[in-house]
Amino acid sequence: MKVHMLSMMVFALCCISSVFPQSPNYTIGMSQCNLGEPWRVQMNADIKNAAQAHPEIRVMFKDAQNDNLRQSAHIDEFVRAGVNLIIVSPKEAAPLTKPISDAYKKGIPVIVLDRRILGNDYTCFIGADNKKIGKAAGKWIAALLGGKGTIVELKGLMTSTPGQDRSSGFREGIKGSRCKIIFEADMKWLEPNARKEMESALSRFPQIDLVYAHNDPGAHGAYLAAKAAGREGTMKFVGIDGLPQEGRMYVKQGILAASFEYPTGGREAIETALQILGGKKAAREITLPSRVFTKDNIDKGGEALPQ
Amino acid sequence: MRSLLRNPVGRAVLSLVLVCLVGVVFNADGTFFRWDTHRDMLRLVSVYGILAAASTIVIITGGIDLSVGSLLGLSAVCFSIFSIHRGWGAIPSVLATLCIGAVCGSISGGVIGRFKIQPFIATLAMMVFARGFAKYISAGQKISTAVQSTDGTFSYVPVPGIFDFIGTRIWGDNIAVVTILMIVVLFAAWVFLSQTVPGRELYAIGGNEEAARFSGVPIPKNIIIAYAISGLLCAAAGIAQAAQELQGDPEAGASYELSAIAMVVIGGTSLRGGTGGIHLTVLGILIIGYLEKILSINAVGEETRLMLTGAIILAAVLFQKKGD
Amino acid sequence: MADIHFDTITKRFGGTVALDAVSLTIREGECHALMGENGAGKSTLGKILAGIHRPDGGTLMIGGSRKIFHSVPEARAAGIGMVYQELASCPDLSIAENLLLGHTPCRWGLFVDRRTMAAESRDLLHGIAPELDVRRMMHSLSVAQRQLVQIAAAIGTRAGILVFDEPTSSLADAESKRLFAIIADLRKRGVTIVYVSHRLPEVFELADSISVLRDGRLVGTLSRSEATDDVLVRMMIGRPLLSETEIRKEGGPSKILLEVRGLSSPGLLTSLSLSAGAGEIVGIAGLVGAGRSEMARAMFGLDAASSGTVTIAGTETSGLSVRGRMKAGLAFIPEDRKLQGLALELSCRRNFSLTIPEKIRRLCFLDHHRETALLTAFFRMLGIKTSSPDAPASSLSGGNQQKIVLAKWLARDARVFILDEPTRGIDVGAKSSIHTIIRELAANGAAILLISSELPELLGLSHRIIVMRQGEFVGEVDGTLATQESLLRMMSGL
Repeated sequence: MKVHMLSMMVFALCCISSVFPQSPNYTIGMSQCNLGEPWRVQMNADIKNAAQAHPEIRVMFKDAQNDNLRQSAHIDEFVRAGVNLIIVSPKEAAPLTKPISDAYKKGIPVIVLDRRILGNDYTCFIGADNKKIGKAAGKWIAALLGGKGTIVELKGLMTSTPGQDRSSGFREGIKGSRCKIIFEADMKWLEPNARKEMESALSRFPQIDLVYAHNDPGAHGAYLAAKAAGREGTMKFVGIDGLPQEGRMYVKQGILAASFEYPTGGREAIETALQILGGKKAAREITLPSRVFTKDNIDKGGEALPQ
Repeated sequence: MRSLLRNPVGRAVLSLVLVCLVGVVFNADGTFFRWDTHRDMLRLVSVYGILAAASTIVIITGGIDLSVGSLLGLSAVCFSIFSIHRGWGAIPSVLATLCIGAVCGSISGGVIGRFKIQPFIATLAMMVFARGFAKYISAGQKISTAVQSTDGTFSYVPVPGIFDFIGTRIWGDNIAVVTILMIVVLFAAWVFLSQTVPGRELYAIGGNEEAARFSGVPIPKNIIIAYAISGLLCAAAGIAQAAQELQGDPEAGASYELSAIAMVVIGGTSLRGGTGGIHLTVLGILIIGYLEKILSINAVGEETRLMLTGAIILAAVLFQKKGD
Repeated sequence: MADIHFDTITKRFGGTVALDAVSLTIREGECHALMGENGAGKSTLGKILAGIHRPDGGTLMIGGSRKIFHSVPEARAAGIGMVYQELASCPDLSIAENLLLGHTPCRWGLFVDRRTMAAESRDLLHGIAPELDVRRMMHSLSVAQRQLVQIAAAIGTRAGILVFDEPTSSLADAESKRLFAIIADLRKRGVTIVYVSHRLPEVFELADSISVLRDGRLVGTLSRSEATDDVLVRMMIGRPLLSETEIRKEGGPSKILLEVRGLSSPGLLTSLSLSAGAGEIVGIAGLVGAGRSEMARAMFGLDAASSGTVTIAGTETSGLSVRGRMKAGLAFIPEDRKLQGLALELSCRRNFSLTIPEKIRRLCFLDHHRETALLTAFFRMLGIKTSSPDAPASSLSGGNQQKIVLAKWLARDARVFILDEPTRGIDVGAKSSIHTIIRELAANGAAILLISSELPELLGLSHRIIVMRQGEFVGEVDGTLATQESLLRMMSGL
C-alpha cells in the first residue's frame, strides 16, 4: 500500500511538472472566468497562438470555473507571483473591481477583456459590443427577408447581459421592417435546448422564414430540428459568435445563412500587452470590429460590419 | 380510486394523467393533439430516459450515480473522435465507446463496493474526473466534422453514416431512432432488474445490505455490476447525444444527472433503495417529458418555467410519498 | 393514576385486523400480563396505550376520563412509558445522550450540560446496569446491554404506567433476573405494569392477572391463582402443547459433517475446535458476549480476520466466500432477523428466494413458476401465514418473519445448519413448530449447531452441549446429563 502511495505521488509530481514548463522573461497572468464555453476556449487559444510568436513572453492561464471568488483569488495570486501584466476576462463587474483595482494600484498593468469592471482602475479595456452586433444582425436579416417575414428568436440566457443585448439590439435592427418575431424561447446558450424549443416552434407554426439564435450552436440545434421535420429548406438560420469550428463551419457547409462574429479579442490583448510591456502607450478603450460570415464571403475571411 | 392510489404505479399514472390534462387545456392551438408533438417529446426524453434507466439500477442498490451526465459527455466526445476524426467504422466506434463507459462505471463501482466509499462521493469524483477527461481529449472544443490541422486551418469530413442512422426517424417518419434505443434500453434494464438473479440481488442489497450479506449475496461483485451497467448505458446515451448533435460536445450532459434522478424519484423509486423499478421510471420519464413539452409549446418564459417545474416536481414527489 | 379501561378497541393495519373490539380493564398498581401468540395483537394493545398507534374504533379510559394519545410525548406527559421489543436507539450517541434524548439538560438553553447529563444518566442506570459507563457509544454495546439502557430510559420518565413489550427477548437469564427485581421494585412504588410477553415462566413470576389474546380478540382474563400452564397454552393456541422436556432424540453420531479446527479471531475467539455428525444437534451455551454469534459468523465466512479451518461435509472451506460455503452445504440462521435475516421492505418472495439463486434460474432468467412452487411448498410446510407472497416482510408478525428466515435456508437443502437464537421473540406456537423442524432436520441427517440463551431449549433439543465463555470452549456436557444449574455454573465460570 505504501509503495502504491509513493508511486502515485511521484506520478502526480511528474504530471504537475510537465504542465508547468520553465522559461521566463515577461510573465503574463491570464484569468479566464469560465472555460466551459467554446467561445472562451477560443479566446484562450487566440491568446496562446498570438503569444507563441513572441518567445519573450510566457502566459500563465487560470480558469475560474464560473466562480467570482475563485477569480478574485487568481488576481491576488498573480500579484503575489509578481507577474508583469494581467489579462482578465471577468465573470462579473462588482466582485472583481476591487482585486483588479488593487493590482493596478500596485503598478501592474491590467487588460480587461470582454466584460467591464466598475471604475477606472485598469490599463485597457478590449471588447466587442453585443448590442451593435445584434442590431447589425437585425438590419442584415430584414434586408435578407426583403423587409417582411416570420422570425423565431432563440435567446441566450436572458439573465446575462450578452443575451439581453443581443435581443434588444436585434429588435432595434428589425424595427421599421415588417419582420415579426412569432416565437421566442430561452435556450440558455445550449444546443439541445435550442433543438427542443425549435421543435415546439415547428409544430406550432407552419410558416417560419428565419431563425435568429443568439449563438451558433443554438442556430445549429434549430437547423437539426427543422431538418428532422423536413423543413430546413423553407427557412434560413442565423447565429452569432462566428468561431472557426462552429459558426464559420456551419456557414461553409450551408447550414447557416450567416454568422456574426463576436471577436474574442485574444490576439488584440497580446498585441496591446506587448505595447505596454515595451513601454509604449496603449489605447484605453479598444472596441473590436465585428465581421459577418456568409457563404459568399467565408473563404475571403468575412466582411467587416460598419462601425 | 383508493386502490389506485395505494400502489406507486397508480400514483405515478395519476400524476402523468394530471400533467397531460394540463396539456389538453393549454394545447397551444391544438399543437398538443398532434402526433409530431408527442414524437418530438419522446425524442427529447430519449437521452434522459437512458440515463434514468442507468440511475434506476444504481438507486435500487441504495446508491446514487452523479457521474451519468459527465460520462455521457465523455462518451459523446470519445465516440466522435473514434468515428469522425479517426475514421473508425460504426461497430468498433460503438463498442469502444461502450467499453469506456463500462470501465468508468466499474471503477466507481469498485471504489464503492470494495473500499466502502459512499456512492455520493465516489461518483462525484467520477463526475468531476470524467468531465475533465472529456475536455482534455477534446481540448475543450466540440469534436465535429470540422477537423483542425496543425497549421490552424480547417478541413471538413463527411458525417459518418452511423450518426445519420441514429439521428434520424424511421417508420414513416413517426419515431426517432434514439427513442427506439431508449425503449430497447428500458426493456433490457427491466429484464435485468426483474427477471434475473443479479437484478434480484440488487434489490436485496438496497433493501438490507447486511441481510443480503448473511444470505451469501456477493456484495462488491453486484455493486460493481450495477455501476458498470450504469456506465455502459451512459455511453449509449452519449452515442445518442453525439449522433443527434452531429458532434461530440465535452460539455454535453451537464446537470443531466439531476434530471435523471428526478425522473426515477417521481416515478416512485425510493432513494433509500430496495423498492421501485423500471416500470415506474418509464412513468417518471413521461411525466417530466410532457411537463417540459407543454411548457415549451406554450412558450412559457424561463423564470416561470423554472418555478413551475420545481413546484410540479415537489408536488409529484409529495404525491408519491402520500401512500407510504 | 387510576384504572386503565380499554373499551371495544379496534385497530386495523391495511387489510388485516390487529385488534377486534377488545375490552379489558387493568387495575391501578397491578402487574397485568398480556399474552398471546405473535400476531395476536398484544403488542398493538400496548402500543395504543403508549401513544404509538391510534385506535380505529373504541375508547381508552384512564381513571374515568377518555384519552386519545396522538403521539408518544403526549402519552409520556400523561405518565405512560414503554420499553419496546424493537431496539430503538441512536447507535452513534452515547448511553447518556440516548437516556436523556428529548430532555437533554442544557446550559443557557443551548449548550449541552455534560456534567449534569452524566450525573442524571448514572442515576437512571444505577438500579439497572451500574457497570455500564454512560459515556460509551450505544453501538459498542451488546443487544442485551442496549435493552437494559432502554429499560432505564423508560423507567427514568417517572411514569405511573409502564408498558414492557417482550423485554426479555434478547436478555440472558441473569439479566432477566435483574429485570424482574426492578419490576418488583417498581410495583412496590405503586407503578402499574403492563407486561406483554409469551413466556409462561416469567408471566407466572410477575403477573397479578393475565389477559390472553388470540387473532385480535380477547380470549379471557385470569387471575394469577387461576392460571396454569395448560390453561394458558390452550387459551393462546387453542390446543395443548408437548412439554419441552419430552423433546429428546436418541441416536448416536455417525458421519462427521462439520469439523472446526483452531478457529480463532483476534480479540473474539480463541482456538475453537468442534465436530458434529449427521443427525446430531450440538448446543452452544454461553452468556451474552461469550462469542457464540461471533463464532457462527466466522464459520460462515463473514469475519475476514478469522483463522482456522472449517470443513463442511468433506469440503475444506477456508478462503471460500459465503456463497462458496453455502454451496458446500452450510446454512446460517442469524440471531437478528430484522438486521441480518430479512430485508423487511422487500416482499416475502424476494426474501425467500435470495439464498437459492441456482434453483430459481433457468438459463439467465428467473423461473417464476419454479420459484412460486418452492415458495408455496416451504411456506405450507412451515405454516407461514401471509396475505400474499408479494407483501413486504415487514407486514408479517415476528413469528412468521422468523419462519421465512428459516424457510429461505431450508430451501437450500443444506447439510449443516447453524441456528443462532432461532426462537428469539416468537410465540409459543411458532416456537414449538420450529423445535419440531429442528428435530426433523436432524432426523433427516443434517448436523445442527444450536446457539440459544434459553437453557430449556438447549437441554430439550441437544445431544451434546458445548459451553462457551469469553471466546473459548470451557466444557462439554452430554445432553441427557446436563442440568440448568451445571450449565449456568460453567457459563458464568463459578
